[in-house]
Amino acid sequence: MLRNLKIYVPLAFFGVFLLLPFLWMLLTTFKSNQELLNTPNPFWIFHGTFSHVTDLLTQTAFPQWFANTLFVSVASTVLSVFVSYIAAYAIIRLRFPGSEVVSTIIFLAYIVPPAILFIPLATIIIQLHWFDKLWALVPIYATFLVPFCTWLLIGFLKNIPRELEEAARVDGASNVAILWRIIFPIAIPGLISAAIFSFTLSWNEYLYALVFMSSSGNKTVSVGMTSELIRGDVFQWGQLMAGALIGVLPAILVYFFFVEYYVAGLSGSVKE
Amino acid sequence: MKHLDRREFLATSAAGIGAAALAGSFPALASAADAPSFRPEKDAKLDLLRWTAFVPSDQTIWDENTKKFTAATGVPVSIQSLAWGDIAPKAALAAQVGSGPDIIMGWNDDPFVYPDKLVDMTDLVDNMGKAHGGWYDNARSYCYDQDVKRWVSLPVGCTGNAVNYRKSWVKEAGFGEFPKDLDGMLKLARVLKKNGHPTGFALGHAVGDANSWTHWILWAYGGKQANPDNSIAINSAETVNALEYARQLSETMIEGVAGWDDSSNNKAFAGGRIGMTMNGISIWYNGKKDTPDIFPDFANVTPPMGPVKTHTVSNNFTSAFVFKYSKFPNAAKEYLRFMLDKPQADRWVTEMKGYVTPALKAYAELPIWTSDPNITPYRDALASAKYDGYNGKPGKAAAQALDEYVIVDMFADVCVNKMAAKDAVRKAETRLQTIYKRA
Amino acid sequence: MTSRSPLLARLDSPRVLGYLLITPAAIILLGLLAYPLLLGIWLSLTNATIGKPGEFVGLQNYATIFADPIFRGAALFSIFYTVCAEFGKLILGLALALLLNQQFRGYRASRALMLLPWVAPTVLSALAWLWLLDPQFSAISWLLIRLHLIHSNIDFLGSGWGARFSLIVVNIWRGLPYFAIGYLAGLQSISKDLYEAAAIDGADGWQAFRRITWPLLLPITTILVAFSSIFTLTDFQLIWTITHGGPTDATQVFTTLAYQRAISGGQLGEGAAIAVSPIVFMVVLAVFVVRSVREK
Repeated sequence: MLRNLKIYVPLAFFGVFLLLPFLWMLLTTFKSNQELLNTPNPFWIFHGTFSHVTDLLTQTAFPQWFANTLFVSVASTVLSVFVSYIAAYAIIRLRFPGSEVVSTIIFLAYIVPPAILFIPLATIIIQLHWFDKLWALVPIYATFLVPFCTWLLIGFLKNIPRELEEAARVDGASNVAILWRIIFPIAIPGLISAAIFSFTLSWNEYLYALVFMSSSGNKTVSVGMTSELIRGDVFQWGQLMAGALIGVLPAILVYFFFVEYYVAGLSGSVKE
Repeated sequence: MKHLDRREFLATSAAGIGAAALAGSFPALASAADAPSFRPEKDAKLDLLRWTAFVPSDQTIWDENTKKFTAATGVPVSIQSLAWGDIAPKAALAAQVGSGPDIIMGWNDDPFVYPDKLVDMTDLVDNMGKAHGGWYDNARSYCYDQDVKRWVSLPVGCTGNAVNYRKSWVKEAGFGEFPKDLDGMLKLARVLKKNGHPTGFALGHAVGDANSWTHWILWAYGGKQANPDNSIAINSAETVNALEYARQLSETMIEGVAGWDDSSNNKAFAGGRIGMTMNGISIWYNGKKDTPDIFPDFANVTPPMGPVKTHTVSNNFTSAFVFKYSKFPNAAKEYLRFMLDKPQADRWVTEMKGYVTPALKAYAELPIWTSDPNITPYRDALASAKYDGYNGKPGKAAAQALDEYVIVDMFADVCVNKMAAKDAVRKAETRLQTIYKRA
Repeated sequence: MTSRSPLLARLDSPRVLGYLLITPAAIILLGLLAYPLLLGIWLSLTNATIGKPGEFVGLQNYATIFADPIFRGAALFSIFYTVCAEFGKLILGLALALLLNQQFRGYRASRALMLLPWVAPTVLSALAWLWLLDPQFSAISWLLIRLHLIHSNIDFLGSGWGARFSLIVVNIWRGLPYFAIGYLAGLQSISKDLYEAAAIDGADGWQAFRRITWPLLLPITTILVAFSSIFTLTDFQLIWTITHGGPTDATQVFTTLAYQRAISGGQLGEGAAIAVSPIVFMVVLAVFVVRSVREK
């Protein structure tokens, strides 16, 4: 009983703090504009309406934005995790000349603040003719995903016992074969945690998606929502909040199923 | 001059345009004095970036008119829209990298930030002005660049500002009608506050709402940011008087205005929390739909006058500019000409019900402006308007001062941070001097 | 596998393969990250404006911004914001991790739910916070008044310090799950034997935490704090959506000020200098991370 109290009371505190904005999103989604502004109890829905949800799904291109975001997030996640995995392996195991320098550069690369450096980045994007191409967001997002993923995987791979590889090497396996057949299966938890991290960051990105895409068909959820539902000083609160909630769904599904792997993967990489 | 070929185009396209005009809602008003056309380049196609329509009818009619344009000229136009605050980074990027939409509809001083990158609009502006009763002064202030000495943008209009109030509460306060001058308004505001209906004017970094009312008060007292030669003129007894007035007005305001953004006063007014504010027509427009029970009590009035004895309104001005990198500048001009020409614009302006006040004077005669007394103040928004950086030279420096909220922060320093008016003025003066020297 | 061609064998040598495997990461980071960064640094040394390349002016922009009280205020608040937010995330994240590290009914769902703030698109969750922090419509104020804890609505964003702390709380809210999940992983990697040994020695819970848990969590703490600080220091969307740097520049940070000067004001050179200036702090952090990772 006391133990339960010790768990559930603090848990309730965290629950309120962390979930209150989501409760607000949920309430706003189903409230009419009038009730949002004038209500005896903001925590209750007196006259519920589904119109915000249906408007969002039918009157706007939300499904398209959703699909775009999903595509970009999945693709940039796959690319970043792959690139980081082989880079981490090279840094940790192959110890080629300069590997230390490379790993330092990868960490230093993290210091780029995007809020203004999108201007110089844009020059390159234009020269490459990547402007307004949805897939271009994939390598662009990789710039802020690869450093973290590489770090995470370096930590993870470090803790895989060398004996496994040495045994394989005695059997005549090449480095590439070891990379794919021996290390890869063991590294899966680490890869999943890197993937979850990447997916989340890509899913939330705003500035690059705003400035580097221009056609309506290439908008992501964040950009699409703000560009269509913020009309001057009038915000379509119900639809914005409905979209925020629906936008969270895929990530929460991913988390629900993979959170244990994520934790396991991270703990593999931080083990002494 | 590349555009000499527009006359011949006029002959060939007049038939098409005339037909389109007749299809419009106001065939009677489709005058013969339409501005001359430009001949679109061969195989032209256009990309337009505009701010997301504030009202659905804006988008519907704009898109319909665009279709008519494509039918008449064969030039396809693809339209992208972004939230109004997100236009600036996109336009800056386009100017910087030399690639992007052919036409961008931006806000306030945007075109002055990169005038060299923009197509000369002088001929179009002249023609349109001649055909449609001339331009309001604001058009020149926001679109004619004095450094490069040409029109860098085509004025479209503004989302005008007026004072919004609750009729019954003003009556309850013992006022037969809304006061005509600022002193009267302050008296009313005090009674409203006492009756539990405070006023609410934004003092946070709200692009529209905070700038609009602070500039109105500043100008109403004769305060000026700069002189015509761009020397700083903010440090004056007039500015101090304006700040003293604002301090007294702020005592009648609801809690938290310093944290308000552009949507806050809409919420507070529609939620019945405040009895007076300044805003575009959006509060009134959306009240009909969102809060029908109290909507009949909403009213709008032209902002009262201060000691200068003229109206001094500050609006959000929008204009359309064409980038030099565009391969189809003539098509772009023709498109803009077509869209703001009477047959199209009449319907566009009418259906928006006062949301956008056109910069061309002829459109003030549309019946929509007098169809409801609450729309009329928005018709007059441009007639008495001053511009950002008044009475200095419109341009980069004024644009930057606006972006840095120098005037808003000066008012907030007095009203919220309780700084002495003289100190707030001096602080603003220093900031302005830095900005004007740099620009 | 046994009979490899000479070419394949050469490709498979650690040196060649090493370079080969690092190439994709290098291309992405050098081309799309390092190059723009260098361009940005170059811009900060010029008087470029939007649309005009500008000329080399040396450190003039830096001299200008360091003399600018608004920049100094922004720098101070950026650091204050980062330090407070990191501290809050660290303490609360660790507490949450300790909580979730126990077995109880619903622990799995709790873990997934607690991650929500980190997952929600920042722009949209900031809009939800705008309502919760609204001076008139805040549901938090409403609830506290109902509970008779306060008499009138809290003015979250209307005063300088109110706005500053509100932003810090929202930043903690968003980043806490990231710390919690990191610490959870750290906790699970600590062997149970250590605690049993400590228990035999008669250590109480707090002593066990101080002697075993915390020292063993130090490596992950360094990494979590370093990465999160970089994200916090370069945070833009949250502050821009909620306060736009107001009231009266109280919540201006490096990124918002740089954006305001460079993008809306067109002063690219000066804006770049503002954006580049925090790199000094971040280099220190980054070196810190590299060291701690290497030392393992």
